[in-house]
Amino acid sequence: MDVYVIGYASHPPAEKVLGKRLEEMVYDTSAQALRAAAIERSDLDHITIAACDELDGRSISNMLMVAPAGGYLKDELRVTDSAMVGLHLAAMRIASGRYHLGLLASWNKSSTAPFEDVMRMRCEPFFTRPIGLNATIADALFAQAQCAAGAASESKATAQSASLQRAAASNPRGLKRKAATADAIASSSYLATPLREGHCAPVTDGAVSVVLASGDWLNRHPEAKPLVRIAGIGAAIDQYYLGRDRLAGLASFKQAWNGALRQANVRSAHGFGAVEADCQTSYQALAYSAAIGLDGSPTFCPSGSAFAQNPYFCTGLINLIEAIEQVRGAAGPAQQSQTNFAAAHGQHGFAQQGNVVAVVERV
Amino acid sequence: MNKNVAVIGTGETVFRSHHPDKTYVDLAQEAVAAALRDANMEPQEIDAVVFSMAPTEFMGVNDADKWAVDYTWAAGKPFMRIHTGGATGGSAFHGGWLNIASGQARTCLVVGADRVAETPDAQHILNLIWDRFYEHDFALNTVTMIALMTQRYMAMRGLSEEQAARVVVRSRRNAMNNPYAHLKGQITVEEVMNSRPVSTPYKLFDICPRSSGACAVVLACEEVARKKCAQPAFVHGIGGIANTVFIGDRMGPHTDAEIGDFAEFVLAGRECYRQAKITNPRKQIKVAELYDPFSGMQFPKLESLGFCKPGEAAKLSDDGAFDMNGEVAVNPSGGTLCTNPIGVTGLVRHADAAKQIMGRAGAMQVSNVQRALATAVGGSAQFWAVTVLGADVM
Amino acid sequence: MATSTADQDQNTGVIPGEWHVRYNYSVGKVAGKYFDGLKARKILATRCNKSGLTYLPPRAYCERSFAECDEWVEAGQEGVIEAATIVSAQFENLPKPPYCIAYVRLDGVSTAMVNFIKEFDMGDLQTASSRVKPGVRVKVKWIDKPEGKATDFYYVLA
Repeated sequence: MDVYVIGYASHPPAEKVLGKRLEEMVYDTSAQALRAAAIERSDLDHITIAACDELDGRSISNMLMVAPAGGYLKDELRVTDSAMVGLHLAAMRIASGRYHLGLLASWNKSSTAPFEDVMRMRCEPFFTRPIGLNATIADALFAQAQCAAGAASESKATAQSASLQRAAASNPRGLKRKAATADAIASSSYLATPLREGHCAPVTDGAVSVVLASGDWLNRHPEAKPLVRIAGIGAAIDQYYLGRDRLAGLASFKQAWNGALRQANVRSAHGFGAVEADCQTSYQALAYSAAIGLDGSPTFCPSGSAFAQNPYFCTGLINLIEAIEQVRGAAGPAQQSQTNFAAAHGQHGFAQQGNVVAVVERV
Repeated sequence: MNKNVAVIGTGETVFRSHHPDKTYVDLAQEAVAAALRDANMEPQEIDAVVFSMAPTEFMGVNDADKWAVDYTWAAGKPFMRIHTGGATGGSAFHGGWLNIASGQARTCLVVGADRVAETPDAQHILNLIWDRFYEHDFALNTVTMIALMTQRYMAMRGLSEEQAARVVVRSRRNAMNNPYAHLKGQITVEEVMNSRPVSTPYKLFDICPRSSGACAVVLACEEVARKKCAQPAFVHGIGGIANTVFIGDRMGPHTDAEIGDFAEFVLAGRECYRQAKITNPRKQIKVAELYDPFSGMQFPKLESLGFCKPGEAAKLSDDGAFDMNGEVAVNPSGGTLCTNPIGVTGLVRHADAAKQIMGRAGAMQVSNVQRALATAVGGSAQFWAVTVLGADVM
Repeated sequence: MATSTADQDQNTGVIPGEWHVRYNYSVGKVAGKYFDGLKARKILATRCNKSGLTYLPPRAYCERSFAECDEWVEAGQEGVIEAATIVSAQFENLPKPPYCIAYVRLDGVSTAMVNFIKEFDMGDLQTASSRVKPGVRVKVKWIDKPEGKATDFYYVLA
């Protein structure tokens, strides 16, 4: 794709961002992204927002959020699925040739809203809601399906969580929480079997804004310095109803992965310096890494994934930033061998119903 | 790399207050099945799906689009839901266009459903969209908000309530030709004027119904369009713009776009018309399907979209210029005044405009439509989307 | 099994649901100061010197220049109606009609802010509407004990 990232910013992560309205958080992040890209808001020809009304605690959230995000009198589109779906749309806008310089803004301030209750209300009312699913329960069902398929076990999940937490603790861009030991994880309470508290990445507050430009715009602005090219994006959604195949099969993850690699002309996960996946639980980390042939590999989530920070709705975009830093050689303690390509992944919906993978290329 | 993109099929359900015999996902499925048939397509020929849905509080399931995946043959495909309040259907249409124009897909299904009357608390919900600290306490909802704007337009441009009432008469009469429309029939200006006052200047019949139903549109690149459809409706131009939520910023001497005039359409229309090479909308566009949930909204919209000068639209309307057989047929479908399933309405406007070009508008068909326009508006009249469709490639 | 009535109920039945959601909105940098100002019967607006605009409701940053607002300014307590409507309908969870909502641009401020206009006869809608047309001046009136809420004041015809 002829789409480039020329700047970005992420809000200092926190368990809860207090002292700022959501609008102020997002303004700070978008203003910072524009400065990082060395452009003015007036230069933009469009804005793409990724936000969830229910998590923001407001119906039609972009009503209040479009201006703080930078969209005053701009051509604005907004998706509700996840920040990475926003990236997909933002990239398509530029790839269409119709738009040349855009801002993508996403956030998560779920300290405002009752997160799991919002998830529970995603159940259709006839068959699912009377029983009651939410994110944790759906993740537990996924975990169980992985165990039943022989792809995971509680002890493996515990070890995976410990290793992600160790990586997270030394990630300068994350919350730098002290890593729990494997023993502490193994003895943490069950949330829903076989998922223990220690296997789960807590949801945190954060925001990300990214400035994207077309190759055409870059040619007209030779002083601008692109950070990476978006080499490929793949996306797919799974069916809604959960069942063994749906849970164990990872169909839409694989489809998104294959689509992105095909577009980027990368043959396998080994072509990436790092793969940053959206792992809400360590069971997901086990499943994704196995699916792409990176089980146990240090190039899988060197950032610590969602255990470093987990602004749920935009964790995928945090992963994009981590992938960008990897190809630029600026990932710090998490740095893997610097290569030309890295991958970032985001998921959304019950038991990762939707998946988006983006491949970034060094420029 | 601008590929030519066209509408090759549309599908709608009948719109009414309630569909007691169908669920939300049943409605979406019905519209998709109809659109696929109309497009001569099988589900597996659809490369990507864009879902059109605004606040889900009316029908009570968060992310209802994810539930609808199983009913719209979307599993295994790239999928996104677009939501810009009332403008959603138009923005979703633009999203569908982008999937193809970007080269990521050759075909794209845009589908949405809504059940606005599922809850009795609709206006309560619409009170909650306002700023919690500064505006929530002041009884703003979509009715009072538009009433304020129309009062402003009336003071600026000199519109009478009777002139607005005539729009209701024309819309409901047009809707009699629309098998899907919610409200339809012969109504008089007097009946509109005597209907229950709601918020000055609007009375009950000046205001749209709360509708439930679904709509789907199939878009394709030119190569596929030529194979599947005798007369596709090609996308000639798209434009969109967002303003600040604070409507108090959009009035008075410091506004960049005067709210009484809906002047955002000047800005959004400019870019859309530039792509579509429209220089004289009144002569070049035969049909306008406008997003007008209130009777007074047509006038500033037509003016800002360049169909006539500010203050001229009402007289033209009185003279029949916007009737079915007038210079520009405005809302031959009956428009949003007759049917408003919020999350889908903008898409219905696009489907109705496309049908005019495709020659599939049945009793609503205006003759020889070479170009048609569709709009969608959302938020505090804050999100604006406009599209020009044409019978040939640009 | 002849249960046709029951089957019919099954097909056209309804499952009720309700969702009570509680939220905690952070007040943030600016709203707190505004509400404190109301307690002292002051209406505080923010100003952006880059764009030259003074905002009510107050903002932390200017949407147009995209710079932070750098000054607090006290708004005048009289202003002009930019738009108004008189509500006759009873909406769920909203006040008992009739009442008048208006956007008023207070003196010294660039933007209009919403509040009620009270203390005038709304019996005849046509007459009442003409008394609150755009351009008419109004004054701020305070409640007896301002509490630091948006409803601490309202507008009355000047």
